[in-house]
Amino acid sequence: MGRRVAVIGAGMTRFMRRAQETGKELAFEATRAALDSCELTLDRVDAVCLTSAPDAFDGVHMKGEYLSDGAGAFGRPFIRTYVGGGSGVFTAIQGWYTVASGMADVALVVAEEKMSSTQPHPQGAFLTIFDNVLERPLGPNLLWIFALEMNRYMSVYGLDKRDIATVAVKNKRNAAAHPAALLGQADITVEDVLASETLAWPVQRLDVSPISDGAVALVVAAEGVAEKLTDKPVWIEGVGWNLDTAYWTNRDLVFPEYVQSAARMAYDMAGIREPRKEIHIAEPYDPFDYKELHHLEGLMLFDKGKAPEAARDGVLNRDGDLPSCPSGGLLGVGNPIAAAGLMKVAELFWQLRGEAGARQVPGTPERGVAQAWGDLMQVGTVVVLGANSSGRGGGGGTAAPLASPSPTPLRSGPAPSTAPGATPALPLSQTPPLAAGGHSLSDAEFRSGVGAVEHAVDARYSWDAGVAVGRFLDGLRAGKILGRECRGCERVLVPPRMFCERCFRGTDGWVEVESTGVVQTFSICHVAWDMERLETPEIPAVIAIDGSDGGFLHKLGEVSEGDLRVGMAVEAVWKPVTERTGSILDIAYFKPMRSA
Amino acid sequence: MLEKIARPEEVRRAEGNIPVRHRYTPGVAGEVFFEALRDRGVILGSRCERCSYTYVPARLFCERCLAELAAGVEVGPRGTLRSFTIGFVGVEGEPLAAPLTLGLVQLDGADAVLLHVVLDPGEEPLEIGERVEVVLRPAERRTGSILDIEGFRPLELHEE
Repeated sequence: MGRRVAVIGAGMTRFMRRAQETGKELAFEATRAALDSCELTLDRVDAVCLTSAPDAFDGVHMKGEYLSDGAGAFGRPFIRTYVGGGSGVFTAIQGWYTVASGMADVALVVAEEKMSSTQPHPQGAFLTIFDNVLERPLGPNLLWIFALEMNRYMSVYGLDKRDIATVAVKNKRNAAAHPAALLGQADITVEDVLASETLAWPVQRLDVSPISDGAVALVVAAEGVAEKLTDKPVWIEGVGWNLDTAYWTNRDLVFPEYVQSAARMAYDMAGIREPRKEIHIAEPYDPFDYKELHHLEGLMLFDKGKAPEAARDGVLNRDGDLPSCPSGGLLGVGNPIAAAGLMKVAELFWQLRGEAGARQVPGTPERGVAQAWGDLMQVGTVVVLGANSSGRGGGGGTAAPLASPSPTPLRSGPAPSTAPGATPALPLSQTPPLAAGGHSLSDAEFRSGVGAVEHAVDARYSWDAGVAVGRFLDGLRAGKILGRECRGCERVLVPPRMFCERCFRGTDGWVEVESTGVVQTFSICHVAWDMERLETPEIPAVIAIDGSDGGFLHKLGEVSEGDLRVGMAVEAVWKPVTERTGSILDIAYFKPMRSA
Repeated sequence: MLEKIARPEEVRRAEGNIPVRHRYTPGVAGEVFFEALRDRGVILGSRCERCSYTYVPARLFCERCLAELAAGVEVGPRGTLRSFTIGFVGVEGEPLAAPLTLGLVQLDGADAVLLHVVLDPGEEPLEIGERVEVVLRPAERRTGSILDIEGFRPLELHEE
């Protein structure tokens, strides 16, 4: 598995609503802080790995190159990757293989996001994650995906929203001790979360992480080099990543298989057999409160459906048995998409070195897991870090001697400066993370700043439906729902495709399925994608079509909110033949079937 | 497995866009640069002594060594034309009413070049290496924009 690789430095900017800094400047401030934290100059860096989420946030193509100078990539091997929300943790994985492969001894890992540039709302940049032909005509909103998944998770396990809300409370309280946090709040309560505005039931305002700007950077180094640069290397013991099917409505939304598969890969590499016993801190991805719980289950740290109990019972608190998001997570520190994931890896680094200041978890944590998730709800990225050099993480056979466990509890105060004679000790508020930069603008300053400019990428698209969906749309115009049969896995695929992504073979033939189905999950959505309130709420739902092994996204109608149930039988309400155009909207909506 | 498209007019298509526009802050260094341009009519660069390199416009950091820089060096207003092009068509390929000349100019005191319009190139063909001067908008019309610079004007020999 190549050379062993350690994290030796980390830095970040404040996470904030509107940064004065350009994206490049944010990247610079985080990168500079990371280098300073291990007293390294840029000329010691052999390669740079960077991530940032969609180019559409910035309206800048080749955003990697655009940001590269601030990440220290001038004249160096450089690559930018992007796997949606999973990017921040993935770029740490990329730093690992850049060094493990022997291509670099020292590499920078940088994640930047500036969402405030995107007007009127960053969600506009996300809309193309929905299928252009089958989903976007329904007017979807990114909240739909989360609300639909959250409702299914709650319904299948009979979960109490209060237990889920405790995650938002825990993380915002934890973030109150984080010098870079945007939404830290020491006195927030479950009642505050439950009383916040309903956006897309069951999702409320305080269940959601904030739009943010910010950057994070790590320095990683090879075994043999790392030990010379720091006396406290934190080893990357395991990495894993995995993709699930792109047909999100064909998955059971209750359990994140992709996280489990990625975690298995990382645990195998780290030699972890009993994750619940061998992992001391978790930083699961928490863009929404339920998502942290979902991911803790995917990480095999709790049984399916059991993480909410752990949240309720305080197990996940900073002083609990398995501290989860001691940083404050995305819900508390903020969610500059790509940077948020790398913040989690940085938090493990600080926690495992005992340098997390007021956020330090008690005891002597020796191993932590960070995880992120993204793309179209389908990518899992996992990194296991260990302070103890006995971790396998590379299996090179030249492992350094076992570090003896610290006999005393870790400090809760500031760490001493590791820079003798170089820089004076930092005040408590500037103990790691070095909140190196980040000047937050008010909305008025943002709107009126000298030199600010506005642009629109005025591009329009015309997307082909393709072979399978083209035929499917013809079927809708004729009042039929068509699927494709795969004899390899014996599934009837709706939406249809000409190849089966599981068997990777051509599908075998067309099948007409029923116009009825079962509601897998639903939401009651009160806002549009730009977060303007809707006059009439919409009811998006994932409907498993009878006679198929899948389903699709549509809306429900002719139903009162009180009668909505996961598992209810529904039937398509077709538009009149003369009004059909060969569109997903040829089905006006689905309505409850009258009980026989 | 693939089907031949017999009637392309019946191919199903979905029309759409990515409904966003962008507002860019000029950043920490950019704000200083644009204020100086608007209020004092000067062009600020940033010098990295370690790398012996002066950037224009001003920057917060040196991309060569990642040192933090100040926006502390006035450059120009005269400089040297390092390259130029003459455009005859617009972005849609349409002919322009008048050709547009764009130049890369190394302002005196700077190492980096600045892209802008070359004004009134005149009868004589432009030459790389030619001396030029920045032309600013009148102070009352400057807004803190790169367009506060109208362009570069070629200098006559006797003006040097």
